[in-house]
Amino acid sequence: MTARLLIVEDDERIRASTRLALEDEGYDVDEAGSGEVALERFTEQPSDVVLIDLMLPGMDGFECCRQLRRTSAVPVIMVTARTDTHDVVAGLEAGADDYVTKPFVAKELAARIRALLRRARSVDEPSVLTFGDVEVRPDEGTVQRAGDEVHCTRTEFRLLCELAANPGKVLSREQLLDRVWGYDYFGDGRLVDVHIRRLRTKIEPDPANPRHILTVRGMGYKLTA
Amino acid sequence: MRGLRLRVVSDGWRRRAEQGDAGGRRPWSRLGLRARVTVTFGMGALALSATMAGLTYFTARQFILHERETAILRQAYVNASLARSSLRSPTQNIFQLLDSLDTLPGSLSVLEQRGQWYATSISVGKNAIPVRLRSLVLSGVPASQHFVLNGSPEMVVGLPVPSVDSAYFEVFSLDELARTLRILALALAGAALVTTAAGAVIGRWASGRALRPLEEVSKAAETIAGGRLRVRLVAADDPDLSALAASFNRMADALLERIEREARFTSDVSHELRSPLTTLTTSLGVLESHRDDLPVRSRRAVDLLTGEMRRFQRMVEELLEISRVDTGSAELLLDEVEVGELVRQAAHAAGAGDAPVDVDASISGLRLRVDKRRIERVVANLVENATLYAGGVARFVVEPAPGGVRMVVVDHGPAVALTERDRIFERFYRGQTSGRRGTTEGTGLGLSLVAEHVRLHGGRVWVENGAGDVNRFVVELPSSDPGQVAS
Repeated sequence: MTARLLIVEDDERIRASTRLALEDEGYDVDEAGSGEVALERFTEQPSDVVLIDLMLPGMDGFECCRQLRRTSAVPVIMVTARTDTHDVVAGLEAGADDYVTKPFVAKELAARIRALLRRARSVDEPSVLTFGDVEVRPDEGTVQRAGDEVHCTRTEFRLLCELAANPGKVLSREQLLDRVWGYDYFGDGRLVDVHIRRLRTKIEPDPANPRHILTVRGMGYKLTA
Repeated sequence: MRGLRLRVVSDGWRRRAEQGDAGGRRPWSRLGLRARVTVTFGMGALALSATMAGLTYFTARQFILHERETAILRQAYVNASLARSSLRSPTQNIFQLLDSLDTLPGSLSVLEQRGQWYATSISVGKNAIPVRLRSLVLSGVPASQHFVLNGSPEMVVGLPVPSVDSAYFEVFSLDELARTLRILALALAGAALVTTAAGAVIGRWASGRALRPLEEVSKAAETIAGGRLRVRLVAADDPDLSALAASFNRMADALLERIEREARFTSDVSHELRSPLTTLTTSLGVLESHRDDLPVRSRRAVDLLTGEMRRFQRMVEELLEISRVDTGSAELLLDEVEVGELVRQAAHAAGAGDAPVDVDASISGLRLRVDKRRIERVVANLVENATLYAGGVARFVVEPAPGGVRMVVVDHGPAVALTERDRIFERFYRGQTSGRRGTTEGTGLGLSLVAEHVRLHGGRVWVENGAGDVNRFVVELPSSDPGQVAS
């Protein structure tokens, strides 16, 4: 089954050319010229990946992403102008899974989409991973905390699986970027940091003083029961 | 040239400014403002004190002289009348008479009677008395005169005493008076000198005080010229200075605004180029993926377009990067990474092929906080530079350096000329050997960005000669947190 993409971009020409390029990569592509239209389209027919430009007239990309996140865990890639602004962190905090910078190369964008669509589970993983009062079921893609369902995005879930499958072991940002996002050595460490932060708010009793997902300064992250 | 004046500079102003225009100036104007104020104050004090001293001297002199003359005349009249009454008695011995006269210290009496001259002293006789006065008195007119005898000032008073057919002369020495006046003159001259010196000192102090704010202005201007554009002057409640400070600050604001506007312009231009560039690259990507369906000529055109598009895209990215540094909005995204591994990965990603990466054993495993993306660009740009101009990278060396680590990229040469070693880090600088190798050209910004990235980390980069006409591009990074030195 071909994956369905939604491109949210106000520049008609960029939209059209990106659509051409991604259709060449074998995706079904839907377009939206504004955040409002994008939300409507998504409700009518959910996509597998959404591409949101941060600079939109009317509702901006951050807001669009936040609204989307209220109802869906769909992977979101945001398109930003610069990598070293707060836009990246703000976009990730709004719920985006990954980002690309303009002008992007279509092939690289396609690679990012593929990485997000990839299934996280490997065959030899146990069917249930537990730590503290948290239960992760990689087969079913569910997380429960003290018996209650916790809603995670696909990226958060994969990140949690990686950590839970290696309890007590320090995983560096590079390792996590490679395994969860499919990045090489030069991926952006902020992707990991922001997603870890979001995970903590969902599964830690006190996110400011984490007990399970710990930061190992200068090294990376590790999970303890 | 007195003070400041305006000049509009044209090309070559620097040269003229260096030569200076002191050659044709008179010595006075070559003195600094402070020296001139000092001299003026000194001269003023001198003129004033000299006038006062002169007036004091002449008034005192007149007064003392008048007093003395009055006393002398009174005494001479008394003595003359004494002589007259004594000479009336014919038995009177003239010498005894002269001795009995009450004279002031230093005064001598001379008496003439019927052509005969008598004196109390052998040294002072008829000849001591000036001829004109002598004849005047002998002709019956009383007279007095100042004259110099044997080098000392004297005053002579001559009184005819016709009733006894005589003339009485008395010679007074004015030596003591002259000495008194000399001492007075010396004291006054000394006072004038002291006053002059005091004037000069006050002038120097006052001008120093007046010029101190100017020193602050000059310091601020230097700081701004040194690149810290946000330095401003603060004037305490002084109304004279606050005007100066305000206009100086306005100038600095205007300067900053212009510089920022220019940097912003570059940034805006590059930014605006992003959208069309995105359309172009993605569309071209589509064309490229259908390359095999195209006729040969179109295929060739697509290849050309692709190559140039890649270069264009890099140029825009690098311009943006540089304008971010220029506008001061460049931020370091620090990550703690293993330096050796970082260089190895970056060299691999940059396509340095099988050039070995030698990490010194003493720093293997050393972790530094750096901006991975920027260091990757540094390595990539150095690799590109080596590929374009020096036959590729021969090897990489990572070794310890004082206070940090050093990464060296060694190429195959030829070595960069000594005169070009600094200039190749300038923007768009094309060296003599530029473009000799390979057909693809760089963007002209690669090495200047290397310098900027390294500078943001608080490190430095330079190129030196290696053995056998090769270049060693050396990047030194401090091990302290670079966030503190980034501007």
